[in-house]
Amino acid sequence: MSGVSAYLARRAAQKERVRILYRRALKETLNWAVHRHLFYPDADDLRKRFDANKHVEDINTIDRLIADGEAAHNKWRHPDPYIVPWAPGGSKFTRNPEPPSGIEIVYDYGQEAEEAL
Amino acid sequence: MASSLRAAIISHFRVPASQTLALNGSKLWTVRSMSSHGDDHLDKNQVIDRVLEVVKCHPKIDPSKVTPEVHFQKDLGLDSLDTVEIVMALEEEFKLEIPDKEADKIDSCGLAIEYIYNHPMSS
Repeated sequence: MSGVSAYLARRAAQKERVRILYRRALKETLNWAVHRHLFYPDADDLRKRFDANKHVEDINTIDRLIADGEAAHNKWRHPDPYIVPWAPGGSKFTRNPEPPSGIEIVYDYGQEAEEAL
Repeated sequence: MASSLRAAIISHFRVPASQTLALNGSKLWTVRSMSSHGDDHLDKNQVIDRVLEVVKCHPKIDPSKVTPEVHFQKDLGLDSLDTVEIVMALEEEFKLEIPDKEADKIDSCGLAIEYIYNHPMSS
């Protein structure tokens, strides 16, 4: 019984690894593609490479295939990937941060003293 | 002469007190021009419409089946990699960057809408 649950846990972990690998690889494809119309065929190719091993049943073979895929992904990682501007590493990260609380800005530049006179 | 003229001019240029108070008060932090720090928060219906629009564009999905509560794999018959593609399309639509582990958990329209609506940076 424990063998079955261990097998299922390992399969679930493998599925998660494949999903995350596919997600990263897809983003990497978008980083390497200069234009959208170049991205679509590349993404289709990537999908085909994943689908080619869809029906592999042997659990050790799957592990090896995932490791190969991750190694290939690491090898072809983009040196300057696209990062959403606000995210760490993005072009707007920590630009125009909020002032610390407790600081007030007075906008009427001494006019209130004039009124009091 | 000059001082009376100055007084006459100044008496015409007066900023209403309520306006200066609004600038000085806590409202100052809610609207900040030229900043991208979540000033323009989306409302729920807008999020739902845009999420459904993106999901309907996926080639393997029958657009008539898409509802705000639909589950990608159980109801729409997609596989896990199609789900990854949809989540990535949603990220691009809303200019988000979702961490891998969290993106992995999004498996239905309802969850996607909730995540995007609650994300401070979605736009």
